[in-house]
Amino acid sequence: MAKNSLKKYLPLSEATYYIMLALVNPLHGYGVMHEVEKLSDGTVKLGPGTLYGVFNTLEKEALISKVKEEDRRKYYALTDKGKEVLREQIARLKIMADRGRTAYEDLVTKRTEC
Amino acid sequence: MLGGAKSMSDNQITRFKWFWVWQDDAEEQWLEKMSRQGYHLTSVRLPCMYTFTRSEPVNYAYRLDYRSFSKKDKQEYLQIFRDAGWEYLGDLSLWQYFRKQVKEGEVNEIFSDNASKIAKYRRTLGYLGFFWAVLLFIVLERITILPESLPWWGNVHVFIAAVLVVMSYAILRIVLRIRQLRI
Repeated sequence: MAKNSLKKYLPLSEATYYIMLALVNPLHGYGVMHEVEKLSDGTVKLGPGTLYGVFNTLEKEALISKVKEEDRRKYYALTDKGKEVLREQIARLKIMADRGRTAYEDLVTKRTEC
Repeated sequence: MLGGAKSMSDNQITRFKWFWVWQDDAEEQWLEKMSRQGYHLTSVRLPCMYTFTRSEPVNYAYRLDYRSFSKKDKQEYLQIFRDAGWEYLGDLSLWQYFRKQVKEGEVNEIFSDNASKIAKYRRTLGYLGFFWAVLLFIVLERITILPESLPWWGNVHVFIAAVLVVMSYAILRIVLRIRQLRI
């Protein structure tokens, strides 16, 4: 897939990013909520309205798809296109984090000097 | 807000109350206040009819979403809310009513980021905008094509024009709300 066509999805919002990370393995809505809280060290707790909205958008854009249904709960997983977008997002985040690290260390040492 | 006619049975009260599209926060707060006084919403129906049952006061969070969907999608939607601990109370036009007991350390909001809150107001704008355009079309069409052919049409016209003014105000309020959330 052409990288340009994926660019319109980037950057993903924090909620969308973690939801896509969680959907590397098939999960239902409630499973995603738990997984996102765990993956984010408790910094992102999803409301059900937010989660449903993201599911809706991602499914419409064919970044995720329904894979099965159990106990009236639908399981979603990333599509190939979804995996591509996530990979691209992670690559960008890596650059951001690497560049940030130097500045962060500076900021921390300066704070302790004061 | 048109204050309530009130009818009583043993443990139930029914209220009729109008609420404007930009007052969803006030609507939530009103329901929370009722629950703190021991009146808990059991159903909400057209025409703006709220039924409450009396028992012990509870600190509930009431939240409103705005959505239309197919029956099947709604099942999935409600399942996600139920799993997250929210009780579904029903809908009034496209407003979906939920509540949950407020608990420390839990998510007491149905929307956890501004993007999804903005999306909710965008959905209300979608419907408002559509009906606004339809009404505007009716008014303009009649002005140009059928000015005086129907004697009673003038009154309908004034009425539709008044509705248009209110809707324009509603659209303005919602646009401002979205801007506030965008920061």
